[in-house]
Amino acid sequence: MVKSVFVDWVKRSNKNERLWLLAKIEFKLRYYENKLGLLWALIKPLMDIAIYYVVFQVIMKQAIPAFASFLFIGLILWNFFLESTTGTVQILNTKKYLYEYSNMNKLEIYVSTLLSNTIGLFFNFIMFLLFLNILEKDAMHTSFYTLWIIPLFINLFILSLAVSLILSNIYIIAKDITQVWQVFTSFLFFLSPVIYRLSTFKEALPTFDYINPIAGIIINARRTTMESTNPDFKLFLFDFTYAIILLVIGLLLLNKLGSKAAEKL
Amino acid sequence: MKQELAIQARSISKTFHISEDSHNTVKHRLFNLFNPPRRKKVEALKQMDFDIYKGECIGLLGRNGCGKSTLVRLLAGVYPCDTGNINIYGSTLLMNLGVGMSHQLTARENIYVSASVLGMKIKDIDNIFDKIVEFAELQDFVDTKIKYFSSGMVARLGFSIAVNAGADIMFLDEIFAVGDMKFQEKAIRVFESSWIAGKTVILVSHTMETIQKYCNRAAFMKNGSLVYFGETQKAIELYVQDNA
Repeated sequence: MVKSVFVDWVKRSNKNERLWLLAKIEFKLRYYENKLGLLWALIKPLMDIAIYYVVFQVIMKQAIPAFASFLFIGLILWNFFLESTTGTVQILNTKKYLYEYSNMNKLEIYVSTLLSNTIGLFFNFIMFLLFLNILEKDAMHTSFYTLWIIPLFINLFILSLAVSLILSNIYIIAKDITQVWQVFTSFLFFLSPVIYRLSTFKEALPTFDYINPIAGIIINARRTTMESTNPDFKLFLFDFTYAIILLVIGLLLLNKLGSKAAEKL
Repeated sequence: MKQELAIQARSISKTFHISEDSHNTVKHRLFNLFNPPRRKKVEALKQMDFDIYKGECIGLLGRNGCGKSTLVRLLAGVYPCDTGNINIYGSTLLMNLGVGMSHQLTARENIYVSASVLGMKIKDIDNIFDKIVEFAELQDFVDTKIKYFSSGMVARLGFSIAVNAGADIMFLDEIFAVGDMKFQEKAIRVFESSWIAGKTVILVSHTMETIQKYCNRAAFMKNGSLVYFGETQKAIELYVQDNA
């Protein structure tokens, strides 16, 4: 299937246009319908940062240097993963109109939705860089190492796409995967070093930075954007392989279960 | 001259397993591990083979429930087949009462999305946009979400998109039932003009006149089997006999 998508892309450039068109419409639907519009995309992480800052820095006194930026980059990556997975569990149902009348490849529906989330992440990342360089005093400023965020993001994108494919195809045969995933993501959030000091996390949960595929991405994003160092290459390669394996499982499920979506949903 | 294939179907069949209890949640599946759901087998399509060539207009005849819609969905690539395989050469459009549209989107957005799904480039959609709106008689509602449209307006828009955007292979399921009488006349006029010229069309209709007039071959189906595939006149005779 991947081969056919690739060949199609090369032969008929209309696919790229279509992906971008669907992504733009999805983005507009999500934000422009609200009174505050696009501002919500920026307000949401800022509000989260404020809450976690008060709880973990003011009340629990974790004393993590540059905690606001630490939270900022962690949360925007986490939120991308959360939106791209929780928000797409029912995608084959909500976007049925796209494949019910034509032989359009279903994989495009997923990629366009994730592209729409990428637009939101892009705005948030710009805000993060402004915050880090203008307001933050305890962290290193932006350097060439920040460019590592691109491969790290590709890793996150593949991981989110993979989990999204797995969940939404399981949804065809088990509807309550939505609730199961909601509980699981709360668990995963607290098992990711989004709000804790890395040393505390590693001490309490050794090897968890490897087991949890999103943990390594957050750890490496902080290293490259806030500490001006290279990513932990071992962790980076491990997470990339992790994401690719999950993607293969997701694509197999899409072939096996997803092909029956039109008749089952 | 050798004709180019549009659709090649080999040993295709389709059976639906309809479960009487709803076992579609994790909880249900766990609690009923030793009590599997009662399933009913419905053999919607029995094994069949055929070829459809580019530029042909094929009529599909048969009484209600004989498997026409299932066959059309299989050929359009919407449903997978249980056995055999189908090779589809080109983009497909399945149209019964319009094409697939999102009620959350405006008419403008739906036009762009649907036409793009049918394989058109944005630049080309820009060129036919006004034509689509005009044909659907929706000039004053271009930026209105279609959830506020009447069912007739939605159907007109869907028809108009299909007419103007088209696809290489089109499955038209009772399309002349769209809109009021005036719109139906317009639809027939379009059909008679150059719309389907050069395209492969599979036409499902209970109106013999339509089949006779436009189709160069026709298929007659009964109880999920392809009874006859060939001359239009013969297929119509079989259908009429079946209805007698």
